[in-house]
Amino acid sequence: MEALALDILTTAAILFVVSTGLMIILGVMKLINFAHGAFLTTGGYIAYLVGAAGLNPWLAVPAAAVLGFLAGLVIERTIIRPLYHRPLDAILATWGLGIVIGQVFALTFGRGVQFAPSPILGTIDVFGNEYSGYRLAMLAVAIVLAVALSALLSFTRFGLNARAVIANEPLARGLGIDSANVRSITFGLGAGLACAAGALITPLLSVDPNMGLPWLVNSFMLVMISGVSFPSLLVASLLLGGSQVLVSTYISPILGGMTIVVLAALILRLKPKGFSRA
Amino acid sequence: MKIRTLLLGIGLSVGASAYAAEPIKIGIPVGLSGAASVVAPSAVQASELAVEEINSQGGVLGRQLRLEIADDGSGAQGAQRAYDSLVFQRKVDVIVTSQNTAARNAGLPIVNRGRVPLIYTSFYEGRSCSPWMYINAWVPEQQVAPVVDHFMTEYEAKKFFLIGSDYAFGRGMLQYTREYVESKGGSVVGEAYLPMDGSDWTAIISQLRSANPDALITSTAGGAPNVTLTRQLRAAGISIPYGYYALDEGTAKSMGDNAEGIYIVASYLSSLETDANKAFLEAIEKKFGSSAETPNELSVPQYEAIYAYAAAVEKAGSTDSAAVIQALGEVTVEGPRGSVIMNKQRHASLNMYLGRVAADGSVQLVKSFPKVDPGEQCPQFANK
Amino acid sequence: MSYTHRAALIGCLSGLAIIAVAPLFLDVYLTNILIRTLFVAAVVMTVDILWGYTGVLTFGQSAFFGIGAYACGLIFTHYGFGPGWALAALAVALGTAAIVAAAVGWLAFFHGSSPLYSSIITLALPIVLTQIIYSGGSFTGSSSGLSGFPTYYWDLKVWFWIAGGFLVLTTTAGWLLVRSDFGRVLIAIRENEERSAYLGIPVSRIKTMLMVFAGMVASVAGFGYAAFSNVVAPEMAGFQLGTELLIWTALGGRATLLGPVFAAIGIDTISSWLSGAMPFVWKLLTGVAFVLVIVLLPRGLAPLIGALWRKLRPKRVQKIHAIRLSPAPAGRMLHASFGDAPPLCLSQVSRRYGSLQVLRDVNLDAHGTELLGIIGPNGAGKTTLMRCISDGNERTGGAVRVNNVEIARGSPQDIVGLGVGRSFQNTNLFDTLTVGECLQLARYRIDGAKLFDRRETVSLPHPALDILKTTGLDKMLAEETRNLSHGMKRGLELAMVLATEPSVLLLDEPTAGLTRPERMAIGAVLTRLTQEFGLCIMLIEHDLDFVRAICNRVVVLHQGAILMEGTVEEVVASDLVKAAYTGLQKEAVA
Repeated sequence: MEALALDILTTAAILFVVSTGLMIILGVMKLINFAHGAFLTTGGYIAYLVGAAGLNPWLAVPAAAVLGFLAGLVIERTIIRPLYHRPLDAILATWGLGIVIGQVFALTFGRGVQFAPSPILGTIDVFGNEYSGYRLAMLAVAIVLAVALSALLSFTRFGLNARAVIANEPLARGLGIDSANVRSITFGLGAGLACAAGALITPLLSVDPNMGLPWLVNSFMLVMISGVSFPSLLVASLLLGGSQVLVSTYISPILGGMTIVVLAALILRLKPKGFSRA
Repeated sequence: MKIRTLLLGIGLSVGASAYAAEPIKIGIPVGLSGAASVVAPSAVQASELAVEEINSQGGVLGRQLRLEIADDGSGAQGAQRAYDSLVFQRKVDVIVTSQNTAARNAGLPIVNRGRVPLIYTSFYEGRSCSPWMYINAWVPEQQVAPVVDHFMTEYEAKKFFLIGSDYAFGRGMLQYTREYVESKGGSVVGEAYLPMDGSDWTAIISQLRSANPDALITSTAGGAPNVTLTRQLRAAGISIPYGYYALDEGTAKSMGDNAEGIYIVASYLSSLETDANKAFLEAIEKKFGSSAETPNELSVPQYEAIYAYAAAVEKAGSTDSAAVIQALGEVTVEGPRGSVIMNKQRHASLNMYLGRVAADGSVQLVKSFPKVDPGEQCPQFANK
Repeated sequence: MSYTHRAALIGCLSGLAIIAVAPLFLDVYLTNILIRTLFVAAVVMTVDILWGYTGVLTFGQSAFFGIGAYACGLIFTHYGFGPGWALAALAVALGTAAIVAAAVGWLAFFHGSSPLYSSIITLALPIVLTQIIYSGGSFTGSSSGLSGFPTYYWDLKVWFWIAGGFLVLTTTAGWLLVRSDFGRVLIAIRENEERSAYLGIPVSRIKTMLMVFAGMVASVAGFGYAAFSNVVAPEMAGFQLGTELLIWTALGGRATLLGPVFAAIGIDTISSWLSGAMPFVWKLLTGVAFVLVIVLLPRGLAPLIGALWRKLRPKRVQKIHAIRLSPAPAGRMLHASFGDAPPLCLSQVSRRYGSLQVLRDVNLDAHGTELLGIIGPNGAGKTTLMRCISDGNERTGGAVRVNNVEIARGSPQDIVGLGVGRSFQNTNLFDTLTVGECLQLARYRIDGAKLFDRRETVSLPHPALDILKTTGLDKMLAEETRNLSHGMKRGLELAMVLATEPSVLLLDEPTAGLTRPERMAIGAVLTRLTQEFGLCIMLIEHDLDFVRAICNRVVVLHQGAILMEGTVEEVVASDLVKAAYTGLQKEAVA
């Protein structure tokens, strides 16, 4: 029973960590970043490179965050900004970008599976259960991330501006907030978070040019039903991630793989605003 | 591009001697792009080596062999395009391929329409039968017994847990394993599948833990699932005897100590101490130098299949499809895997090897099983 | 025969002629490749109708292709083969595709769903479907698919004719559809979905029906593909193919129909030559081209070729579809004020956003022949009140009755059906449509739209005709609305709302930005509407002089509640109202 609870908590934590980058972009920019999967992959390859260079595996996370942030700024400037008034086209452009990034990795590193070292090996004893140390670490990471992002939005100048843009962009512009600047920092932040998340999940996975893709749809669904709030993303990750674990454990892991998508679609059908104004 | 220039080189160097006769074309549909592109280069290299060796000995019936390579994109639609191109555009005399099952199935109707012999060189879930096809790789009947028997005798395992990717090979292998385990008096305490692109094995590992089995046997899709499952098992501290059907030597090596202790069963291991294998490894090394790919369970049968085709054409006295099909079941090839003859309902009895991955990722031979029979695969071809 | 029909006939016949002779000149390899490509091109055509014309970005059209393919593969493999079985399989393909499409429509296109959400549902569809196929074991063949089932081994020529004929005929039908009156409705939905809904156009139902038909066409294409190639595999239903369909549509030029079809044929054929030589680079190049086209050439490559074509050819006078006006038979409008109950009746209507209460317990009746002014300072909840009347999902409490019918949770188009017409604060019309087309659009709910043809007339009720005449718009029916002056846009919008034959008219600042003479003209029209046609008009206005000139009664909203109601004089004289407007606290005055 404790093992099940740990499974649910850590699964939710991983889903949360993977989805934050997508959420912050959707919240501020009102666009779905289909290159999110490719950003996760980028993080994975950075973790692989850090490992291959013999550095401390933990270094991969800040490295991925910084590189992702810079790449995000460039991408926002070149691809996203011209499409600001065409949100559906932005979906397609980011999707195309995802294809390009994936192919670049395939050309550089080959299609094969690479391997990044794990910073925490082995298991930890929790209430008499041997449990994967790294998964437990992800739980801590998710909590720290949730607190840090809430603090960023609540206590910083950027956070204030971002919240103003989320609430009412024309008004925010009228108040002298440089919304273009907010948008590009947001995209950088989202890309940085996605790359860092990619580096974080890699020790549980393998690195290949498509590794981010399977996470894409589940993250979309979580973000769609949680609106623009980190607490509700936490709730959504717990509820849907928990359902996924329960369905996988008691019914079938194959159905478990579809649980988040199907549940989220139904929730949104019945309650179009999702959990955000529950 | 490299392949192209190499082919061109071969074409030029043999051009003078084979001036009179048209070359015999061997079509190789292969996943140059997509999931299978990881193993594609090794299969292409093995084919090139076989063709070069045969040509340097004067070719077949005085004709040179020539490779025609087509990308199948590692999928069914790409495969149809590749087969169309090989059969109808480049008019090959034979197709030799180690594609996945979906791609092979997609190609079969085109082979039927074009009446071209096909030699399939990849291990698969068994019972694929076509009048135009021969298979020189292993099927579940040859793969399952060595590892299950070993676990039962050495570890006294009674309770088995099975994990697979949800696709034809994964399910086919584990279904046969279940039958085999039960026929030997063991029991299967759990059988769980994840979608092919699934990477979160959490729930399955928890099931495994609570089922408390004596041994674990897995059959996942090649590449990523191999690695993710093994890592997550290791992270969860699972250390029961662990047999893996789809793990190749290369992946085992890249996983390092994560893979330590995993049992694999193969008809070919690069560490085989036979003369034929040593000669083969040397030839690959010599021909490709630093870019040589480690030969594996897919590339070696590919190499042998080209020899089998050459022998069949010699025997039939022509490249006529019907005659070659007849002859393919009668010729023996002495290759790196030993002597192989595809006379068991279009399949072949094979020497199988049980190996164990060591701490450095290399595979140590534990036990060998000579001439394991493929069992009832295509009874309709029993007399041929 | 109209110009459009003639062009369609010529195009269709020449297409069929090319298809008829082409296999005589093609080698076996190219014929094989093209047969499959022609089937896929028909699916690309449906993607263009859904995405290019209607604005539904779908990643899931491959799922329907897969459904058709699997209907063929499963039935021929497991049940039987023969002409009867083939027909049965085709029926199963069509039926399943229709049911799945309807289910997807129900999930994705409810009123208030966002385009992002719809797209994600269409993305989830192929993913879920492939998963089901994978877990189907030996029944679906799982990852290996099914192959070698019995099928018709006709000559390649015959298959080419089938595939080509199917493509030409479906594309002709599609071409006529997008050029018909119904095609204008699709474009209107793409340009401004909300506005379309408030004209009484059943947006959700139209999108769902379109999805059903597009799904059925894709399903037949998949069926043909599977029957020809003798193989079905999960990737045929997969999301990878779904995105490729989008890429081809984007490259060929969305909303050009023929562009995507030719792009699909061209790119697929070229890629079968090039991808063999350089598989990775080819995919990389497609990706880069795709991003560039989306960012720089949103209309794809077809318009470039079209422009070149026009440059090379002598200019031809563009043929504009002429629309004539005619009076509509007297409708319900005249009977609006009949019956006992008032046409509009609000009780305890409230609206809250989270903790913010925007409207509280508004009780209000509006009568036939009455011109009711709603005034109040900014943020008083005036526009929210109108929203609560015209969309049943807006209010969080209370009830609204229109012509004695409870609006319940009705969507805007349902409420238009009850007799409510609503104009908007900003003149958001359909930029690429002409005045005449906009008017036809407004009549969709009553007169419908022809599926494959265009009407030459639009019949309008008298008041709408009056407005067109007063503003001079009746002489400008062929003008695109983006070229109209602000005043004319206001006039057109009012005419469009009246064309829906409402008995209750909700007008949100109908005179904003107009000159004084224009205001007076509109004022006269509104007065006539109430007096001669018995309409009930509710009007949000800031201009108190205008209100004084035309309104019978005024309601003052303040902080979401009714502060007072009465005649204009009473209200203007009230200290309470003055206080509200000058921003003093109500308590301070009271």
